[in-house]
Amino acid sequence: MYDAVSIEDRKKPIAVLVNKGFANDAESASRGKGMPVLRVIPTSVPCEGSIMEDIEDGVDGALDAIIAALTKPLTAEEKSPKPKEAEKPARIIFKGSLEEVNRFFYQRGWTDGLPIIPPTEEAVAEMLTGIDLPPDHLLGKLQSRLGKATIEKIAINAVMAGALPTYLPVLIAGTIDLLESEPGFMGYTTFGFSTGSWAPFWIINGPIRNQINANNSSGAFSPGNIANAAIGRAMGLIIKNIGGVRKGIEDMGVMGNPMKYSMVIAENEEDSPWEPLHVEHGFKKEDSTISLAFPQTYLQHWPYSADAQGILRSVVDNIPRGMRYTLVFTPPHAKNLAREGFTKEKVKKYIADNKLVPMSRVMAAGMGGPRPPGAPPGPMPKEGDKIPLIRDPGLIRVIVGGGPGAFIAHIVGGGATPGRKEIQKIELPKNWDKLVAKYKNVVPTHAKY
Amino acid sequence: MADNIYEVLGPWAEADPVPSRGINTRVTALAGKKIGLYRNGKRAAEPTLKVVEDRLKKRYPTATFTSFFNMRANEAIVEQDVKGQFEDWLKGVDAVIAAYGD
Repeated sequence: MYDAVSIEDRKKPIAVLVNKGFANDAESASRGKGMPVLRVIPTSVPCEGSIMEDIEDGVDGALDAIIAALTKPLTAEEKSPKPKEAEKPARIIFKGSLEEVNRFFYQRGWTDGLPIIPPTEEAVAEMLTGIDLPPDHLLGKLQSRLGKATIEKIAINAVMAGALPTYLPVLIAGTIDLLESEPGFMGYTTFGFSTGSWAPFWIINGPIRNQINANNSSGAFSPGNIANAAIGRAMGLIIKNIGGVRKGIEDMGVMGNPMKYSMVIAENEEDSPWEPLHVEHGFKKEDSTISLAFPQTYLQHWPYSADAQGILRSVVDNIPRGMRYTLVFTPPHAKNLAREGFTKEKVKKYIADNKLVPMSRVMAAGMGGPRPPGAPPGPMPKEGDKIPLIRDPGLIRVIVGGGPGAFIAHIVGGGATPGRKEIQKIELPKNWDKLVAKYKNVVPTHAKY
Repeated sequence: MADNIYEVLGPWAEADPVPSRGINTRVTALAGKKIGLYRNGKRAAEPTLKVVEDRLKKRYPTATFTSFFNMRANEAIVEQDVKGQFEDWLKGVDAVIAAYGD
């Protein structure tokens, strides 16, 4: 749609054909670029369709509208659309019981479907003890609606998600990650909205992990730990309520993704034989950081055996197609790999070198373009040839986590081009130690039976 | 037991309005016009525009058609190194039909 706006800006009339399911998305995109009256024609041509009968029916059904879009004189509104008012929602938005507050928020599309904690003045004030910045401090304007990401709005969404004040520095760093995300295909403005239902996936490193009790061991990706649950949930609410990313309008995920509720893990740095993720990115071990990717797929499998070959061959055989990869090895697997000389870099190289796929599969996926990313230099591979699935070992991240047991996790999908923005340092308030002491013991104690 | 009453702050952020602008005057007819066909890389876009061209050629035999393709998903054409080629192509058409394949 942005190109359509550019074409009108260059003084050429345009008619834009989209599948009817994308009509609202098209209107939102063109409005966001200041051209709310672009002539968009919804058609019945199926998304990614390739059956000519369906395409012909769709075009035939829209042909008169296409001609009219290029020839019918403009209305007064199309010549000069009414200016949009600045959105300045009231600060105190509602008063009611817990049920009424939840119903009010849900019906405005401000929640993820689960009940929220009411963001009262008191709750937000307590949340704001988690950072030294003033409530009206502006971090930036978050796509798609360029909503102002102030500290207070982040804190409100954090309260709603059930976050503790000690998570606010993490959420601010996460918001900066989104704001500074790589422009174009490999960043938030694709993965936050795409039909692929890519989910924000957060990895926490550094001392803050233990200070906020972020889980890196048993069931790290399962529900049950406030930090892992609320940090991911709050970031989702920030995307929704500050970024304005609405399901079915900007967020066009076809199937959706349960990882969008929350996908957060702390890396187990203590039991790892390798340097942690943030140190790989040039941070000091004592820095705390949060890093961002956008996976679509989460899968787990057993290794063929506990030695390096058994572990790595199983990874190679199971790793699915994606653009960025995160592999989570349990501490024993990591130690077995390290014992046989595998650093993180050597693990990544082994996987990239050995995951070969038939050229015919790449071509069938329709993602080859003029030349498949994994194809080696030289003549174009033939249909029967095998080419690397992963063109660059740098596309793989390796971290240590998980509990006792033998499963390996793959979190695969989208994320930044290696070397582009994906990790942000977490800045702490002056009263950090006091805050940690206040909330450190908020941990589950399971009943014994 | 009486419900507690909560006075709550709104999570929806402020946003400055993007200044709106209108669209261009349309062409008076398609007969004799140069029609640009513009698409992205989604699968349905190319065949859709082929059918559009076929149908319009039958109705307007004097119309001519040229195509341009944004090969890079989710990257604005005017921010790519083919911007010059795109603008040259655009200068040569009277109107554009775009298909996004979604």
